[in-house]
Amino acid sequence: MAGSPDMFDAIVMADERFRGEGFAEGFAEGSGLGLRQGRRLGAARGARVAAEVGCYRGFAVAWRCLLRGGASEKDRKKVKALEALLAMIQRFPYDDAAYGELLRDLDGIRGKFRQLCSLLHVRPDLRIPAEAAGLSF
Amino acid sequence: MKDSLVLLGRVPAHPDSRCWFLAWNPAGTLLASCGGDRRVRIWGAEGDNWVCKSILSEGHQRTVRKVAWSPCGNYLASASFDATTCIWKKNKDDFECVTTLEGHENEVKSVAWAPSGNLLATCSRDKSVWVWEVDEEDEYECVSVLNSHTQDVKHVVWHPSQELLASASYDDTVKLYREEEDDWVCYATLEGHESTVWSLAFDPSGQRLASCSDDRTVRIWRQYLSGNEQGVACSGSDPSWKCVCTLSGFHSRTIYDVAWCQLTGALATACGDDAIRVFEEDPSSDPQQPTFSLTAHLPQAHSQDVNCVAWNPKVPGLLVSCSDDGEVAFWKYQRPEGL
Repeated sequence: MAGSPDMFDAIVMADERFRGEGFAEGFAEGSGLGLRQGRRLGAARGARVAAEVGCYRGFAVAWRCLLRGGASEKDRKKVKALEALLAMIQRFPYDDAAYGELLRDLDGIRGKFRQLCSLLHVRPDLRIPAEAAGLSF
Repeated sequence: MKDSLVLLGRVPAHPDSRCWFLAWNPAGTLLASCGGDRRVRIWGAEGDNWVCKSILSEGHQRTVRKVAWSPCGNYLASASFDATTCIWKKNKDDFECVTTLEGHENEVKSVAWAPSGNLLATCSRDKSVWVWEVDEEDEYECVSVLNSHTQDVKHVVWHPSQELLASASYDDTVKLYREEEDDWVCYATLEGHESTVWSLAFDPSGQRLASCSDDRTVRIWRQYLSGNEQGVACSGSDPSWKCVCTLSGFHSRTIYDVAWCQLTGALATACGDDAIRVFEEDPSSDPQQPTFSLTAHLPQAHSQDVNCVAWNPKVPGLLVSCSDDGEVAFWKYQRPEGL
């Protein structure tokens, strides 16, 4: 009758065992789900940020071409600000999601873009319709 | 204490509207007022009376929130809820709008000229502070857009002698900016107020900054240069700012404005409890921990919220205030004996 204490043990402890197994299963399931959700959300947000920054880069490159050859002091200042924006975009980390100053740097880029809009006398309302491309910056 | 603030006169500057802000020209001869009636009025003394010399009405579509004179006294900037800032040039008898600065997304809350007159700062509900450069042809170019605040920016003010800018915000902080390699950067954040910071004023030396808030306190911040004797920590070569005094328990409502007289050092406040108060630093107090005494308190200075107080830059003790009741009041402040 060596097995009987174990048998009782199994019955007495069943509640705890099932609870523990349930927790482990649920935790694994939840972790996986959370990770997938987080990844999806991160990808969507990342795409939005990248699209926004990409848009600024296209704007800056296009204007740099337009201003090429301009020799006036005014044009020089504009080109300088464009170069500054391009340098900020160049430095912006695309592969380091844990970079702590991401939002601060993004605000810096946005500020430089708005300054350029003022310098170039263009309205900064080049919003891409949200429904068209899934972008809403 | 009762007689230390005497009413000299009162004018219905912006009837049926609010009067938001006042600014003396550098010579102290003209006073600009602005209000909810979308107008700026210019006041000058004629004998003992203050009379309206000009009305600047064509310029803004909405409330004019603040006005500022250029250091030369020939230009006036007006910041409006219509998202623009107008630059007015003073001609012989009138004012002409020479430029409209656009760029802010919504309400412009404040405008200020740097002491050199070459730079102008504006701030807005869009959370940004803009720095503009003025060239020889009176053209304005944006040199920086600063997105350091996380909420509505209420006020901007320049250091009295250096190219150093301070801003106050609905995010409860004050931020300080300086130029760095063709751009402007925020180098210090002053945290301590528990609610919206409404206004700021530097002392005559520029070493201290007073801030007033919705939390019913005035805070005095002192600048400590790197390597200071007091051992206040600085990051790198930037000076750091430390709160050395908090005036609490004096005001029963939001403090909307604070003015530090550049001639006498007296500190005046405009409060939502309709009162004007004046404080003076105790001469014997420790500069590292100064104490201030209430030297004047006028409970019903106006019939509604007092929005602004401003000391005349040339006449010691001449104070003006304006209110939601649309009026501007002129006061003579006399320091009580024995101080």
